[in-house]
Amino acid sequence: MSAVTAPAEAVRAGRGGILLSWGRRNAWTLGLLAFLVVMLAFTKMIQPRYGPIPVQGLATSVLPLALAAVAQAVVVIGGGIDLSIGSMMALTSVVAATAMEGQSAEFGVAVVLGVLLLGLVLGAVNGTLVVVTRVPDIVVTLAMAFVWAGFALLVRPAPGGLAVQWLKDLVVGPIGNEWIPRAAVALIVIVGVTWIPLVRSRLGLSIYAIGSNRLAAFRSGVPVGRTRFFDYVLTGLFSALAGLSLTASTGIGTPVPGPYTLMSVAAVVLGGVSLAGGRGGVFGPIVAVVVLQLVRTDMTFLNVNTNLAVVAQGVILIGVVMVGSLIQMRRARS
Amino acid sequence: MKHFGKARGLLALVAVATLAAACSSSATTAPASQAPAESQAAATQAPAATQAPAATEAPSASAAAKTWKIGYSNGGGVGNGFREEQVCTAKAEALASGQVSELTTIHRNTDAAGQLSDIRDLIAKGVDAIVFNPNDPNALNPALQEANAAGIKTISVDAYVTDPNTYNLYNNQVEYAYLGAKWLFEQLGGKGTVYYSRGLAGHPADSDRDKGFKKALAEYPDIKVVPSADGVFTGWDPATATQNMNDFIASGQYDKINGIWSSGMGKQTVDAIKAANKKFVPIVDADIGGFVAQLLDPTNYPGLQGAAVTNTAAVGGAGVGLALKLLNGEAVQTDPSAPQPNTVLLVPVLVDNLTDQGKATLQSWQSVKGLDPLWPLGLQIQGWTDYTPEQAVACKGPGE
Repeated sequence: MSAVTAPAEAVRAGRGGILLSWGRRNAWTLGLLAFLVVMLAFTKMIQPRYGPIPVQGLATSVLPLALAAVAQAVVVIGGGIDLSIGSMMALTSVVAATAMEGQSAEFGVAVVLGVLLLGLVLGAVNGTLVVVTRVPDIVVTLAMAFVWAGFALLVRPAPGGLAVQWLKDLVVGPIGNEWIPRAAVALIVIVGVTWIPLVRSRLGLSIYAIGSNRLAAFRSGVPVGRTRFFDYVLTGLFSALAGLSLTASTGIGTPVPGPYTLMSVAAVVLGGVSLAGGRGGVFGPIVAVVVLQLVRTDMTFLNVNTNLAVVAQGVILIGVVMVGSLIQMRRARS
Repeated sequence: MKHFGKARGLLALVAVATLAAACSSSATTAPASQAPAESQAAATQAPAATQAPAATEAPSASAAAKTWKIGYSNGGGVGNGFREEQVCTAKAEALASGQVSELTTIHRNTDAAGQLSDIRDLIAKGVDAIVFNPNDPNALNPALQEANAAGIKTISVDAYVTDPNTYNLYNNQVEYAYLGAKWLFEQLGGKGTVYYSRGLAGHPADSDRDKGFKKALAEYPDIKVVPSADGVFTGWDPATATQNMNDFIASGQYDKINGIWSSGMGKQTVDAIKAANKKFVPIVDADIGGFVAQLLDPTNYPGLQGAAVTNTAAVGGAGVGLALKLLNGEAVQTDPSAPQPNTVLLVPVLVDNLTDQGKATLQSWQSVKGLDPLWPLGLQIQGWTDYTPEQAVACKGPGE
């Protein structure tokens, strides 16, 4: 993996090489971006009428999974994993759609804040269990996936509810220029006000530290338990945001979790976040989600059996991870 | 040169991914196509005229006077006979009509948000009409409005959506239950006890069927319903249906009933009765292959009297038929009694094994070569579909 965050490398590169070193640290994301540009050009080639409206649709479609990928990235960077993201999305989504049904726009604001708080609580429960019980996180979050999905079905046994109009308007259509989808702006704003301050904070540094080497972090005075706890709380928050975006795009709440948990893991891996922790960011996974969605769209344009799109996504995933390890091996040798 | 190596690595990444995309795009095979078109099964009610275009149009569909591009979206039940038959009949109708140059099917298990993105992809593809089996009555409306704005006709099959511009086409489930219940109560002379085996609690089709069953019940006040007034749910799960019947027989209550109304799990119910060595009572169920086979097999199921009510999965094909009517500007007769405007309700048909004529009809449904036993048998819908049963089984769309 190339997105190394170790500050030592930046120092070695010197002042003149700051740009180069930035490029090197983000090589994976830049490479994915280049791939996305190639894919967009390919899409335009096979479908000449691909224009602003499909791009708006693309942004709306990727928003829930992009936020789920951010949620997963945050916890994977800290050396953990959360298999309950899809269930937390389902629960927050049904709570939001149910609470908003027949209510005013102002009440909708209160519901959104309440649901974000609920996300923090769900994440705190996950985090507490992981830290206090010392049961492996993969087991805890797998079990909690059933618990949260069960709660979602208790809130609403069948899909339904109704989102307030302003929430739905937030993710559909353009803003200002027809090429700027609202959903993309929403995503940039969300990540901008949460992730960017986070990585610059003490907590952000601690998350990277416990992810890359938990023992070393502990010996350097990083409060490992507390950091892991807050890492899961953050994942809960981003899961709630993802759940809200589901409610916003469909206008309803669906109690049965969608395919978001495993897709978020796939996006995180494709986005250059090491499953061993400590490496990567959230921009790579977001670009990866767009790439995976475009693969599906192109398959539709080419009239390919849709089941093959899933196969292609898997092949891309394993291909990328293979190439990633090859690069790493070459690095280690040189 | 470390940097150079990295650049090469990225190039390889692009190459692998492009290769993956290219590989899968070249393999456009459709599933299950073992049935050669044999016209010996002409006993089915398809008008003879439909044979002609099927044979000649296929390769030169684009040469026809006016052709359309149609998109088909199914968001769940991949592998379920009912949904598979929908998709295959849609393909068959697109081919047999000779008016469809390209049918793009997106057939996968997903949630409402996923189906929203599928419909948006079809809009971006520039199809003339989108036929879809909705994952939710309300959630797809934003994309359906976008389709309408783009001048695309939208047709919801198998269930309705609340978008006012979309046409809905589905089986009349109230009528399905009423027809079967009425036949059963008539068989019992309007007096007796009936075992009421239902589907999935809360599912709209199950709720509609309950309305129809209760409507018939109101007309026959001397009929008693067991195991409870609201029946027993199978969840449309074969194992649950078998378990329900086994429990019912073990409790000794089976010996007191005179008939069975079943919501699609008739085969499992009949098998449970046979396994317990009990005498059959009249039973009414849907036109599923396994159940109809039992009705036609007096050797293994002696004395089994029953009726099959059509619950056709050919709504996929009929949806494509409706799309073509709308695109060609033809008038479409809608049902004002439906809960939504622009709704076409398909009327079910009941056939029993009590007469030779009934047996012959059941036999004709059954005799389609290569038909999957999990598919409902009513492969065609009069007035809405043009393909032959063989074309539906072949599951090939235009250009495949």
